[in-house]
Amino acid sequence: MTFSLDALGARILDGGRLTADEALWLYREAPTMWLGRMADAVRRRKHPHGVVTYIIDRNVNYTNVCVARCNFCAFYRTVGHAEGYVLGFDEIHRKIDETMALGGNQLLLQGGHNPDLPLAWYEDLFRGIKAKYPDFKLHALSPPEILHIAKTSKLPVPEVVTRLVAVGLDSVPGGGAEILVDRVRKLLNCYSKATADEWLDVMREVHKAGLRTTATMMYGTVETDEERLEHMLRLRALQDETGGFTAFITWSYQPEHTERGGEEATGVDYLRTLAIARLVLDNFDNLQASWVTQGGKVGQLSLAFGANDMGSVMIEENVVRAAGAEYCMDEYEVVRNIENAGFTASRRTMHYEHLGTPVFRQREVPRVLALATARQEGDQSVPAELVNYEAKSAAGKRQRGQAPPSPVA
Amino acid sequence: MSVDAISSIRPAVIEAARAGRRLEAADVRELAAVTDILAVGALADDARRARHGAATSFVRVHVLDLALLATWTAPPAGAREVRLAGQPASPVAAVDAVQRAKAIADGLPLRGFVLADVLRLGGAPLLAELKSAGLDEIALVEPGADAAAAVQTARDAGLGVRVIGAIACPSDRAGWILEARALVDAVGGIEAVAPLADAADPTTPTTGFDDVRQVALARLAFDAVPRVQVDWRRHGPKLAQVALTVGADDLDLVAADDDTSRGTRRAPLEEIRRNITAAGLTPVERDGRFASLAG
Ligand code: SF4
Repeated sequence: MTFSLDALGARILDGGRLTADEALWLYREAPTMWLGRMADAVRRRKHPHGVVTYIIDRNVNYTNVCVARCNFCAFYRTVGHAEGYVLGFDEIHRKIDETMALGGNQLLLQGGHNPDLPLAWYEDLFRGIKAKYPDFKLHALSPPEILHIAKTSKLPVPEVVTRLVAVGLDSVPGGGAEILVDRVRKLLNCYSKATADEWLDVMREVHKAGLRTTATMMYGTVETDEERLEHMLRLRALQDETGGFTAFITWSYQPEHTERGGEEATGVDYLRTLAIARLVLDNFDNLQASWVTQGGKVGQLSLAFGANDMGSVMIEENVVRAAGAEYCMDEYEVVRNIENAGFTASRRTMHYEHLGTPVFRQREVPRVLALATARQEGDQSVPAELVNYEAKSAAGKRQRGQAPPSPVA
Repeated sequence: MSVDAISSIRPAVIEAARAGRRLEAADVRELAAVTDILAVGALADDARRARHGAATSFVRVHVLDLALLATWTAPPAGAREVRLAGQPASPVAAVDAVQRAKAIADGLPLRGFVLADVLRLGGAPLLAELKSAGLDEIALVEPGADAAAAVQTARDAGLGVRVIGAIACPSDRAGWILEARALVDAVGGIEAVAPLADAADPTTPTTGFDDVRQVALARLAFDAVPRVQVDWRRHGPKLAQVALTVGADDLDLVAADDDTSRGTRRAPLEEIRRNITAAGLTPVERDGRFASLAG
């Protein structure tokens, strides 16, 4: 099937919607500069004041122990592995203190599917944070994590969501989406952590509970172009239904140290994917740049290919670093890049409320030239409070000195 | 509706660029100030396609670092050129390096040095010595007050000078392009312009916007230079690949060894072909004398 660039361009500039076939054709055939310029025109229509936003928050991974074993993941450790960790409540509080010192207002809190962390652990963690830092925001637990908690606690997803919201969950990150097509999920060994429908259903529940969420896409493994677009179209459909997504973030699979291996998709592929997402996701206001996977330069170029947000300064990052990407941008560098591209930089919340001018222009803030990690290398300490929570795995029980299950059923 | 309808560039400049007419200094300065960098990039892409189509050349280079003499090895089978990298400490060191490189270069073209560095160190006599020691070409000339005379001196000594570029990033980028174009006009015979440079201050690197704009401007401004070149090693695969979509058509300094030690990633040759193809372009390997290699 072929279409006319001029006709599709006119429709896009008019605010019209692309069909799956049209989007696929553009993604494959349109010149890169054309795609970028159309995405830029849409970005300008949605954000006419030349403002590019960013958030100061910290990317904290509370545990790397995971039973899902996605084959694209270099971050997880199996249950009982010597390098497996769970962060202590006090360690997480310390990270919040450091985040606030840099002007941050939120944790992006995600982790592995650790069978030894029951719902009560999450509830106590959230409650403790909110008691100590009432205004601090928790952007936490992607849909597969919520599903995992629902399974381990044998509770329905809506109830888990309600309970987490009651103790302070503010919004939900769109991680774990990978590609929302079950053929792909099976090949990536992430079908059992959440099918495409399950991921979308959790998001639907969270939106119903009144929370906003983001949506993500990790591309560049086994999926076809059609499947990338199917992913976007499924997000577009749910957004039509709930309007709950604040932003879309896409990044390329980072292959190093993963079971799957292979190559990383190229920079041009990233910019084309970002641009087509801006054109397809006509009901999403915000698109973030993924400088953490693309580097500062292509990260900044995202602002010409449809992105209106530089994402987070992150402060800490463990997941893509494990897979070989080690870029760092502190607030100073994020703002320099935004302004160099001709935009005004504005700090924001997860809900895209503007918080004003850069913190480093208001007070002395130390430069951050490398992202922190979850823990110092070799730190194998086990948080004292874990003994209060019942472990499910044999290794977890041993570690916590909890009785093995009775052999008599 | 054509994409030109959303362009922030003056129609007269678009028209001049499309017609292949030489851009005036004022046009170059105007384009350098446009924040809509993809409009400039699109014009540059048209200009590169008019000249080269989708063909994108690359050269595999065996690099010999002047500061690491002890690590030098003979070029691997894939190398098409031997390049001396770095600044020589003295005239004797420069000649010695060329002799050693020539001894292992196995007949491959030997290029090296920034022209001004050599002249500072030993003037015309050193150029002649380097030539007789086996150097074929000066790797780079930067525009500047005496650059035209310097190129002539090097060529008189029998050394080729075919690539014009910048080491440190000029503060006035459009001004640099105009100065470099004047040098091209004065000396002729320039095969490639390498418009990207490192920032003078490493804590504030050049940005993606700066680099894209500079590559695109170079393609549009240098009507008398066939190739716009990007250094694969220095600028990295992501930015270098993007540069190919905004006017660049030649990738310099692709690693010559098929080293797969970086884990599961592919060897450099495969990697370069994959990147060029993924940008919608056609890879064409060239030798160290700017001639395409068949196959
Ligand atoms: S991606 Fe998440 S769910 Fe999958 S193995 Fe890694 S930590 Fe576990």
